[in-house]
Amino acid sequence: MSSNTMARDEQTLKVVGTRPVRPDGVPKVTGLARYGADFSLPGMLWGSILRSPHAHARIRAIDTSKACALPGVKAVITSADFPEQKYEFVGPERVAVNFWHMTRNIMAREKVLYEGHAVAAVAAINRSVADAALRLIEVEYEPLPHVIDVDAAMRPDAPLLFEDMITRGVEPAPKQPSNVSKRIEFNLGDLDAGFAAADEIVEMNFNTAPVHQGYIEPHACLARYDSDGQLEIWAASQGHFVVRAFTARLLDMNIGDVLVHPAEIGGGFGGKTVIYVEPLAAALSRKTGHPVKIMMSREDVFKATGPTSGSSMTVKIGVKKDGRIVAADGLFKFQAGAFPGSPVMNATMCGFAPYNIPNVRSVGYDVVCNRPKSAAYRAPGSPISAFAVESTLDAVAARIGMDPLQFRLLNAAKAGTPTAWGPKHAHEGYSATLQALLAHPAYRAPLGKNQGRGVASGFWFNNGGESSATVHVNEDGSVVVATGSMDIGGSRASMAMMAAETLGIAYDTVRSTVADTGSIGYTHVTGGSRVTFATGIAVVEACRKVIVELCARAAMIWGVDRDAVVWRDGCARPADANQGKLEPLSLKAIAAKRAVTGGPIGAEASVNAGGFAPGFASELCDVEVDPETGSVKVLRFIVAQDVGRAIHPSYVEGQLHGGVVQGIGWALNEEYIYDAAGRLMNAGFLDYRIPVASDLPMIEAILVEVPNPNHPFGAKGAGEVNIVPAMAAVANAINHAIGRRLTELPMSPPKVLAAIDSGPQR
Amino acid sequence: MNQAPARVVLISSFSGRYTGGVKEFEVEANTLYDVIKALDQRYPGLGEHLEEETSVAIDGELYEVGYAQAVRPGCEIFFIPKIEGG
Repeated sequence: MSSNTMARDEQTLKVVGTRPVRPDGVPKVTGLARYGADFSLPGMLWGSILRSPHAHARIRAIDTSKACALPGVKAVITSADFPEQKYEFVGPERVAVNFWHMTRNIMAREKVLYEGHAVAAVAAINRSVADAALRLIEVEYEPLPHVIDVDAAMRPDAPLLFEDMITRGVEPAPKQPSNVSKRIEFNLGDLDAGFAAADEIVEMNFNTAPVHQGYIEPHACLARYDSDGQLEIWAASQGHFVVRAFTARLLDMNIGDVLVHPAEIGGGFGGKTVIYVEPLAAALSRKTGHPVKIMMSREDVFKATGPTSGSSMTVKIGVKKDGRIVAADGLFKFQAGAFPGSPVMNATMCGFAPYNIPNVRSVGYDVVCNRPKSAAYRAPGSPISAFAVESTLDAVAARIGMDPLQFRLLNAAKAGTPTAWGPKHAHEGYSATLQALLAHPAYRAPLGKNQGRGVASGFWFNNGGESSATVHVNEDGSVVVATGSMDIGGSRASMAMMAAETLGIAYDTVRSTVADTGSIGYTHVTGGSRVTFATGIAVVEACRKVIVELCARAAMIWGVDRDAVVWRDGCARPADANQGKLEPLSLKAIAAKRAVTGGPIGAEASVNAGGFAPGFASELCDVEVDPETGSVKVLRFIVAQDVGRAIHPSYVEGQLHGGVVQGIGWALNEEYIYDAAGRLMNAGFLDYRIPVASDLPMIEAILVEVPNPNHPFGAKGAGEVNIVPAMAAVANAINHAIGRRLTELPMSPPKVLAAIDSGPQR
Repeated sequence: MNQAPARVVLISSFSGRYTGGVKEFEVEANTLYDVIKALDQRYPGLGEHLEEETSVAIDGELYEVGYAQAVRPGCEIFFIPKIEGG
């Protein structure tokens, strides 16, 4: 892996932009880091979960008496142990939560809706007893017809998961129920006029497979419900405040009675922004009076936790002969899994967002089917629609004989370009990523036999929102920064660096931690590429408050007015020569006088950070296709991403590498394989094949830095958009290599071979 | 108070549900609070939906909805579905 950085501005920074040793490195490589499964308490019980063998069945009865009678079993719970929830969608439309659905997902009630759906749970003195008890639970099922595929689920005669579900977003409302939870549509301009003005029109259909986030650490937690009604949870998640809120709601508890400790996290990629085992462990603890630990197996993770959606899509694009895109139409049908809530709205908003297109229609459908409920995955929805849009764009560029990067550059969105979803773009950045690839020697490097080159681009919003941070000066002048953001991509380092830069002190004098839900203010999830931006703003604001206090303490020491002191280069200094000859006071010197000047020095800042800027990425991929086997070897991958400013470039490059690796897996290998009964056949990493190091090429990360003026150091967010173009880049490279366009993911060897054997394209 | 008119736009799903299909408004406002308050007076209950369900783009800049957010004279304000990620 390698990287280079482009276009740093002239701002003088001493810490931001450097590459100090990562603070989480030693604990992780020595095994000292404590993940969700590493916590234990005296008297702890083990929890195990009984899961459905059926893809779709009505639960007639559950008899737990034999399990309860097994020696060593302390409690058995079913859905009857959880309060019913009101049926309503609450919160933002794009990610609305319906607790009626959520409580049924963590424990089935009337029906099981996918193989692996939790039906009951046991707490016992050890895991073997708990597992033995599961085999004694008698569940009477009435198997029902099931549906896996999204197009099949939308047919009028499809088996219904919810017999009363009426599609939202359709006027007038349909009279018949269906598996379509929601329809959404965005429009810009006059679509018919746009296509009428086009010289060339390309329309293509696509399918993508659901893929799992593939985090290495399975879900695990420890819960202790005390006799005073207080609940403590130790769990790895992308947001311990969300774990607190959801668990409290599902157990009908006050949020203030739940304390969640953030464990180290072994990957999440969006999949740990929701809960599965926490309310079950808490309910078992409440019932037994003992702490309860639950650990998922890898099979559990595949069968019962959220992948991202599979899809069926149609994209139609019209262009003028000079390369200007004049119209674009997209139809995006997404599998939500067993409960509504796919990322299809993101897909409809992001697909055409990189481009200046005057006439656009983007339609999406959220469709339930008998597989685990989808969960967020790295720029949720955007990679899926980008696969369709960027593949079609490649075909359009070829149709008019235009270089695919120049074609994108001609149509690239700029500040002021309208989007299909309403507002105009406010930030630049996309064109710079295209120019980075155009200027790269690899774009003109010769290719060998059976080799091809593809390019693609992508858009992601990034995010801001609510974050909290505290900054405290220790007795020796060192500093502790605490935030509510779970560290999943290096935020402890970046927060320490931004604090050190603001305070004017060395990075290694700042210790950065993640505080539990009782020790800091509400902080939203580590997701949406929001932490460096939003939590970073909170840290800088807290540091600025500390600086004001440090100057006040210095003024007291010197016996001058507060206004006569400034903070520069890590020291309090007299504002001008009129104050007399005063030696600068370091943070250490002021900390030594903290008691006599008023006590400990520290500050907290909580923000709802706005002004976040989107991320754009453009990627280049070289492949070689084996015409005998259909196997695709990725030879080279270059990702150019506008990151605003890289606070710690090594971590940012890691984000770019990671997004590309996941995109390559999504493109070439990863899929869920179901048998005729709707049972998952490849619920393990041997058969569900994520890329390993030997599958991967040289990945070059180009950090394009177009700073966001709304962040103290220009950060935009870096974690997600890198995955968005990857599948299309690989598909376009394969098309270049074999002259056949693959429109269905994964592009596994049998499909590639079939494409080669299918004869000339078009 | 020297208020300036802002052009406020709702996406179709919000206007379909809450304003009988009316998508665009002119509002005199200095802050986002003024905008939400004015819309809520025209369509009682709309303000709470906007606060809970939307992000806002002011001249293209994306923000979480916050009362104190300044509204520039003659600006363009879009309430869009709230942004979340992975």
